[in-house]
Amino acid sequence: MLTLNQVSRRYGGATALDGVDFVVPENTYMALLGASGAGKTTLLRLIAGFEEPDQGTISLNGARIDGQPSHLRDIGFVFQNFALFPHLSVAENVAFGLRHRAHAPLTNETEIKDRTEAALELVGLTGFGHRGVSAISGGQRQRVALARTLVCEPRIVLLDEPLGALDANLRSRMCDELKAIRERLGVSFLHVTGSETEALTMGDQVAVLANGRIMQSDAPDMLFSHPGNAEAARHLNAWNIFDAGLCSHDLGQGPIAVRFDQIDVSDPGAAPTERPSLHATYLTGEFNGPTALSFFRAADGTLLQVVDHLSQPRLPDLVEGQGYDLHFAADALRQFHGAA
Amino acid sequence: MESRILRPTLALYTVLFLLFLYGPMIVLTILSFQSADGGPQFPIREWSVYWYEHLLGFAETSRVSQLPVGDSLLRSIVLAFMTTVVSTVLGVMSAEAFRTRFKGSGPAFYLIILGMMVPGVLVGLGMALLSNTLGIARAWWGTSFVLHVVYTYPFAFLVMLAIFNRFDRTVEEASLSLGVSPAQTFRRVTFPIIFPGVLSAMLFSFTLSYDEFARTLFTAGRELTLPLAIYGTFSVEIYPNIFAFGVLTTLFSFTLLVIYGLLMKRFTSKASRYSGQEDA
Repeated sequence: MLTLNQVSRRYGGATALDGVDFVVPENTYMALLGASGAGKTTLLRLIAGFEEPDQGTISLNGARIDGQPSHLRDIGFVFQNFALFPHLSVAENVAFGLRHRAHAPLTNETEIKDRTEAALELVGLTGFGHRGVSAISGGQRQRVALARTLVCEPRIVLLDEPLGALDANLRSRMCDELKAIRERLGVSFLHVTGSETEALTMGDQVAVLANGRIMQSDAPDMLFSHPGNAEAARHLNAWNIFDAGLCSHDLGQGPIAVRFDQIDVSDPGAAPTERPSLHATYLTGEFNGPTALSFFRAADGTLLQVVDHLSQPRLPDLVEGQGYDLHFAADALRQFHGAA
Repeated sequence: MESRILRPTLALYTVLFLLFLYGPMIVLTILSFQSADGGPQFPIREWSVYWYEHLLGFAETSRVSQLPVGDSLLRSIVLAFMTTVVSTVLGVMSAEAFRTRFKGSGPAFYLIILGMMVPGVLVGLGMALLSNTLGIARAWWGTSFVLHVVYTYPFAFLVMLAIFNRFDRTVEEASLSLGVSPAQTFRRVTFPIIFPGVLSAMLFSFTLSYDEFARTLFTAGRELTLPLAIYGTFSVEIYPNIFAFGVLTTLFSFTLLVIYGLLMKRFTSKASRYSGQEDA
């Protein structure tokens, strides 16, 4: 179990992480969701020991690891750019850690070869060992990077946007494979990403990092349906967040959130009276294939989005620049207390 | 349209430049095949390899004494070798240090670079005065060696700085995350990747030291290095044996360059040895 306690990191005047409390349980796929610049990579680098926190403690299975040199931490790291050793072949890359690590290096060549081949088989690269790392494709490099890390059997594996450099098709395939590989090994993965779909697909648990803190850490369906605060909701890219005062019913004060797919649209005055509604101007629509996204502007300038599934259309014909009433079921809204 | 004039002009310019560059070498090479009774100028009386034989001591005794370069050649090579090793090691180490911005790195950078900027004659003279004051005997392996290092180390340092500038730090971090110690990481990852740069730094150091003159002049003591020995013979009288020697040393330098090129090629092609690409 990896535990971060009040971890802070500043660069000059800028605060990257501001008292992060975070737990990655045993045998878990933890996805960490955050916008770019939110400090995701910094967090991983602190855990791996490439940098040290200014404050706070990091411990693994109860023992503190902050302050330890990174090569003694026994933590795997998969880089966004893969960071393969360009002067070594695929097999040599995978065998590198076994052969040269400071603690208990292997000297038996047969054992090294067997474990290397097993690792390559695990990631589906049997027979690629003799190749140079520049002579394989991006997806294959990703697998080599993974095999190289996993063969050393680290206590936890950190993945820094591991799918960022791959194209969309490959990405969804690697998602499934990463999950399957992790389940087979039973080791915890901490996967950092800026994509909410990736985080929700991959994670047994998803944590949202914003403003230098963990905003929420929950199971993906729980997080998606019950974001605990406005920041978490904003990162899911599925929630409209607007001021309660805009609505027809008295919904109290402060920001409230309603999911894109739970808002209905009517002509002005035609909204059912029992449902809270607000007036907004239709801006434009965006066709995404199976879904269509419509954009509205509320009276105070807030941008609202409504998603419509093509198989079950529920929106009237919309005219750009016209006003409409947006309404939703009273139990669909999430109300956040305190500052957003 | 534009290239109809521009390209031939540039081509002509390049040809002229190359002729100008290699003109002296070509003249020297031609004159080195002068006959025994010919002088160090045109016309060639008769083509012969007499002066090569003379240089290597195969010729009959003649009115011209043999060129006193044997010992000095050896000295220069040993000196250049020592300088190469020390400068390259220092260059790599300091460039590695400059990867992190440490306190005082700015002034340190300029102080190092100054070594190749200050006039050689002045540094040589200064070193001679200093060694006199301190009572240290001047010698090619002592005072000259120090100045050669001071002179070539900035070059090696700059080459390595450029190499480290493009170096992807994450491969080192990847190695650390696999449990490999920093020392082993340098040996197994960093060094192999920067090795082409190290080769270049070595080449720079060697050639700069091998024909260094100004700094050596005042600091070599009584045992001369090759450039000094050659210069010494000018003050008597010039014979074509000097030209023959010039041709041979150029061939030697060229051999070094070829070795460098081969090593470089072998090393840089290793990464892309396998061609072809498969889908994932």
